[in-house]
Amino acid sequence: MSGNGTGESGTSTSSVVTYNAEMVLVRYGELGLKGGNRASFEVALCRNIVQAAAAISEVRCERSRGRITVFPKRRVEAVARRLQDVFGISSISPCVGVEPTPTAIVDAARPVFEDALASYGGREGVTFRVRSSRADKRFPMVSTDLDRHVAEAILRPEDKVVVQLKRPEITLGIDVRPERAYLFARRLPGPGGLPVGTLGKVMCLISGGIDSPVAAWMSMKRGCQVFYVTFHSYPYIGEASKKKVVDLVRHLGRYQPRSRLFVAPFTETQEAIRDHAPPSYRTVLYRRMMQRIASRLSRRAKARALITGESIGQVASQTLENMTCIENAASLPVLRPLVTFDKQETIEVAQRIGTFELSCLPEPDCCTVFMPSKPIIRGREEECLEAESRYDVEGLVERACAGVETIDVDQV
Amino acid sequence: MSFIYLDNAATTPLDPRVTAAMQPFLGDEFGNPSSRHPLGVRAAEAVDAARRQVARALGADPQHVTFTSGGTEANNLAVLGLARAARQAGRHILIGATEHPSVRSSALALREEGFEVEFLTLDDDGALDEADLTARLREDTILVSQMLVNNEFGTIYPVARLARIVRARSPHARLHVDCVQGFGKLECSPADLGVDCISVSSHKVHGPKGVGALVFAGPCPLRPLVFGGGQERGLRPGTQNVPGIVGFGLAAELTEDGREAALISMGACRAALIELFKEVPGLRVFEPGREHVPSLVAVRVAWAPAEVVMHHLEARGVYVSSGSACQATKAQVSPGALALGLDATETRHILRWSFSSSTTLDEVRRGAQALAEIGAELTSGYEASSR
Repeated sequence: MSGNGTGESGTSTSSVVTYNAEMVLVRYGELGLKGGNRASFEVALCRNIVQAAAAISEVRCERSRGRITVFPKRRVEAVARRLQDVFGISSISPCVGVEPTPTAIVDAARPVFEDALASYGGREGVTFRVRSSRADKRFPMVSTDLDRHVAEAILRPEDKVVVQLKRPEITLGIDVRPERAYLFARRLPGPGGLPVGTLGKVMCLISGGIDSPVAAWMSMKRGCQVFYVTFHSYPYIGEASKKKVVDLVRHLGRYQPRSRLFVAPFTETQEAIRDHAPPSYRTVLYRRMMQRIASRLSRRAKARALITGESIGQVASQTLENMTCIENAASLPVLRPLVTFDKQETIEVAQRIGTFELSCLPEPDCCTVFMPSKPIIRGREEECLEAESRYDVEGLVERACAGVETIDVDQV
Repeated sequence: MSFIYLDNAATTPLDPRVTAAMQPFLGDEFGNPSSRHPLGVRAAEAVDAARRQVARALGADPQHVTFTSGGTEANNLAVLGLARAARQAGRHILIGATEHPSVRSSALALREEGFEVEFLTLDDDGALDEADLTARLREDTILVSQMLVNNEFGTIYPVARLARIVRARSPHARLHVDCVQGFGKLECSPADLGVDCISVSSHKVHGPKGVGALVFAGPCPLRPLVFGGGQERGLRPGTQNVPGIVGFGLAAELTEDGREAALISMGACRAALIELFKEVPGLRVFEPGREHVPSLVAVRVAWAPAEVVMHHLEARGVYVSSGSACQATKAQVSPGALALGLDATETRHILRWSFSSSTTLDEVRRGAQALAEIGAELTSGYEASSR
């Protein structure tokens, strides 16, 4: 209300810019290296981007020599942040795109620069540089000349910035491409890795604990599309335990928007093992059955490997001897992304990807059913086979697979 | 309905689809979402689904949606919770000039806890005074709370601009935006507004009363106001209002999906009403600030106090409001009106007409017609007695 307040507003508001990013420039790392597969990798990445952003905004993707430009219908910032969880992306820049001519670039550059400068709160001596690159070599200036040309054209004495080529605080990036020139001052890190779905399908045994969701995430990071199987021993464990697994799968939907979860009934198997096998072998025998059921279900899903959250020596069932006993029951390769992780390392990843909190909810899983007080530490396969001769392994696997509940979990 | 309802900024009627979605949870599906039998699990799933609907409507992540008992609680939780969590970083708090009492009073309560609370001002046009804001921001400013849309006059405040100014000057400041009146009319995604969290309310968007949410852009430290069994990630414990939340979820989805169409129909209502008011002597449309939502028209009535005119309209079956419902029962001038430099007399002459997506042009015309008739009636009467 005060008169002097409004008097000043002319000068102070000039530092606040109404520039808004209108598109998102996506850079990818490794998939650029894949030669012949590159086009299909790019297509997969575009599809994953569209799916990941769907809950926030409709988006359109445009591919252009080593870059993808994403055009959100709205909510550009929320979309840019969302893409930080899409594997295959190395970095993300909300940007403006203009006609690839020196004049148009200079006109667009000032607002982008001012927006970046505004976040330094009027401090003097903010370090700055322009860094351009030309995918379109027909552009009439070489990059260093364009850098200088833009810097000279946009800098004003009152900005009080210092041009510094090494590690400046603000880098105004200009990416000149045949279709348009992109201008940006921010570069958000992407998660790296490879686009989900480009390296085949895997089946992850998920329990609701801390480890298996992390193992699933790491498989996605390397381009695998993950199917999940969980084992449900109703009524020894309840609906809430199943919901916990569904919630975890849904949370991992940040990284793989559409997932399929198989819920295999496991009560009959556990009861048979309880009734016919030495108590100390129960856990190992449960797991052998899980491998068999998971292997069988993998055929349905066309998955080529099993993924588990096992890590050497973490619990009694995860000694080298026990892991060998367990793996021998599988008919597919068993991949263990966490095999050499300490628990703390796994927890750190779980916290970072947001599964830790969910995993910590105190719901029992089927591994706790009839848990022996002294589980075997160094299991021997002969003992397993001997025990298994006393119950109908094939029939149990058959019935578990026949009774599977399939849950398709969408991210939203 | 036997009346014309033009007070949608106070509350809105339930969408029948929302009522239908809530029905099971008022009947057989009465489970506690924290129970672990199927009845409870289904309730939890319903709450989760509603959380995803609200998140999607607001461009946020589901895990960043905290359900509350309404807009007031969301505002209290934001202001008190953010400030108390940031106590180590500073004590300075800035509050918008025209904030709802749930923000304003929370801030005043913080003053008693040793926080330094200042209120922003408006410029002569009724717009946010950016120079004043810039001057007041400090290194130790920990919280700025500014509404997106003024509940009394419909002014849109440039929150995204404000956020840039705040981020530049006060790196520790958390930004809260009361979007109760903005939701359904403007983009409210916290990430795109550039703020930390926003408050929304269900019953302003054709959902049930007694439910709202505080929605965050990302992880943000917050101290809860109540303590209990850890529901809502411990930020708002207490057994969730399942039917309310389910209704809110659907209402939020329908609101956002129908936003563009609603803006067009409400815009037509607003334009028509303003035109009709121009033809009535003694009416002046009041439009402080630069931009306005299409859902609201504030009009100054010369002939009699708004309260009197309101009751005359009501007698003709037209329901509007004299000032916001939250202020209507109070004798004093609202802080929002004060910030605009209005005195008590002037404030008492302002009527608020507010629309929803279901308001029709015919209703607006009949409302304006009723007001014109009342004008004719009251002018003769008042001239005879008081002039």
